[in-house]
Amino acid sequence: MSRFFSGLRDGVGFDILLVGAALLFLLALAGAPLVYNVLMSFQQVDMFTLGALFRPFVGVDNYVAVVQQPEFWLVTRNTLVFVFGSMAGQFVLGFALALFFAQNFPGASTIRGLFLVSWVMPGLVVGGIWSFILAGDYGVLNVILKALGIIDANVFWKSDPNFSIWAVIIANIWLGLAFNMLLLSVGLAAISRDLYEAAELDGANAFQRFWTITMPMMRPTIGAVLSLGLIGTLQQFDLFPALTEGGPANTSNVAGYWSWQLSFQLYDFAKGATVSVMMFLLVLVASVVYVRSTRHEVRG
Amino acid sequence: MQLSKRGLLASLAIGALVAATPAQAQVTLKVWSIDGVDRPGIADVYAKEFDDANEDVVIEYRAVPFDEIVNETLRAFATGNAPDIVSFDNPDFALFSSRGAMLDITDRVANSEIVSKAEYFEGPLNSVTWEGKLYGLPKYTDTIGIFYNKDLFAAAGLTEPPTTWEQVADYAEKLTDPANNVYGITFSARAGEEGTFQFLPIIQMSGGGADKVNTEGAAKVLDIWKGLIDNGYASRDVLSLGQWDSTGVFNSGNAAMAISGPWEIDRMVEDAQFDWGVALLPTIEEGDERSSALGGFNWGIMANTAHPDEAFRLLEYYVSQEDRIFTEFGNLPARGDIALPVTGIEKKDAALTVFQEQLQYAQPRGPHPEWQKISKAIYDAEQQALTGQMSSMDALNQAQTTIDGIFN
Repeated sequence: MSRFFSGLRDGVGFDILLVGAALLFLLALAGAPLVYNVLMSFQQVDMFTLGALFRPFVGVDNYVAVVQQPEFWLVTRNTLVFVFGSMAGQFVLGFALALFFAQNFPGASTIRGLFLVSWVMPGLVVGGIWSFILAGDYGVLNVILKALGIIDANVFWKSDPNFSIWAVIIANIWLGLAFNMLLLSVGLAAISRDLYEAAELDGANAFQRFWTITMPMMRPTIGAVLSLGLIGTLQQFDLFPALTEGGPANTSNVAGYWSWQLSFQLYDFAKGATVSVMMFLLVLVASVVYVRSTRHEVRG
Repeated sequence: MQLSKRGLLASLAIGALVAATPAQAQVTLKVWSIDGVDRPGIADVYAKEFDDANEDVVIEYRAVPFDEIVNETLRAFATGNAPDIVSFDNPDFALFSSRGAMLDITDRVANSEIVSKAEYFEGPLNSVTWEGKLYGLPKYTDTIGIFYNKDLFAAAGLTEPPTTWEQVADYAEKLTDPANNVYGITFSARAGEEGTFQFLPIIQMSGGGADKVNTEGAAKVLDIWKGLIDNGYASRDVLSLGQWDSTGVFNSGNAAMAISGPWEIDRMVEDAQFDWGVALLPTIEEGDERSSALGGFNWGIMANTAHPDEAFRLLEYYVSQEDRIFTEFGNLPARGDIALPVTGIEKKDAALTVFQEQLQYAQPRGPHPEWQKISKAIYDAEQQALTGQMSSMDALNQAQTTIDGIFN
């Protein structure tokens, strides 16, 4: 008995205890809801069975019904546009800013710190602010664009089906930019200065140094940033109710918001669960790609 | 020792019970409503009065935000913690009443000396009725009409408000003044219940309803509305503005007409620096059938209440105080037997007279247990037509297919 307890304090028992606690936590708070969600997507759910675990089984009916919704393909397209548009914008601009602040000019770290303000702001507040900026008749962005002579007539960012999804993407890029920049800055700081000096001595120009030193050395960081970006973008919710509510006519509706709408506005919990399972599959594919692409990586 | 300890605990527990309950046996009623979240309303104020006046009943009042009340109640009902009395927006009521979650109060109302079913307007009463039985009572009601800026009308040489939608388009053209940032009209075609709230009356005017949306008349009015937006007589942002913000544009003098309801009157009296009036919602052709939206909340007792008698007494108290709801909270009673007091504010009194008349034409949304899905089909179609993604008729046909799937 005492051996068991001493094992708990020091030895294999302790290791198992730690792993077990983490595993239990994961199973209870991530695994169980996930299984419950998948289960729900194969069931018929109404208000009387909302609290139950076992409900009438309907096979793939919910999946068929979701795909047959007239807005399904539009939402799929919007989700892809939103995810890749946001990720590309956040990553490219974040990388550019990270490189810029890596030049260590006076005040660089202070200004870089200020950029984090956008990241600590709640999504709803960011959405509210962008809602003012992107307003059609009295929006700030339109005033600026008109003064610069870029547009003649007001652009109705939130109400024009050609722009509505981009209105949310613009706000989302702004929101996620600082986070991307921060992670990439950390990656840049970890690259040894010696490499650049040696390359410079050998006569490599700035572009060559970027392409042959920075990019390869940053690969693990970039992989992490992109996968986190994918997850962060797919779970983005706050901006939608604050800006467009998925409208006009679902032209800015994405899977995450649609899933919420189905569950909590249309009270069709089974279909809401079905859409979120579909999203989960998308993330699963993306993370498999990510894991495979970084597995054989030689980490510096 | 063990025994005396237990005895001590027991006497403590009894003591606590005695301290908590006065001499009479008390009944606790849980009441949920959106009132009291940002300002006092009917539900919380009168609940407290009832609590103070009745020794035998304790009211546990909970203010739940508008966006959460249906979800909260669904969850609470599923887990057996539902309130005794709850107040829903009228289109949400059928979700509960149709599945037996609300108590059938048909007989109680028939025997009541305070509640008189005959006095209620037909629209609100329909929204608490399911298969001929009464599952609740209207709490208050509202509807929509067309506000117009009399100063801008005079400047454009117009004297009377428009009576048909074609006239609306004609007037809007005359009233639009881009140089002064004035739109002819503003309304709400938002992707949500407000969009349906303003568009469903058009479908009803054309002889359709929630079950039949692809009518010629509805398509015609949608085309007119699309023209308003495309020609710049209305802002394209009507597609994302809610009614409150949309009417704000009217109040600041930047739109000459606005579709909205009586909840705007008090703010308009304060904000609008011009002469204004209200008219009935225009019809499709001159002299055509009228309709308007029916807003407002309903009361209901939940079916699993342990104290139906006390809950109904509270409901009766709410009903008995309905002559106060307009002066105290600006809500319109859903009954014809309560004359609204004259406020002395000329524009307000004139507007209320119009809205009282409009209420006779107001038709409920549903009632249908899957109203929210029907509503989404309707506002999606409206937005598809107004943004030109589909022709009005095609958009309405698509909505009809979705709706047929819900009804069958």
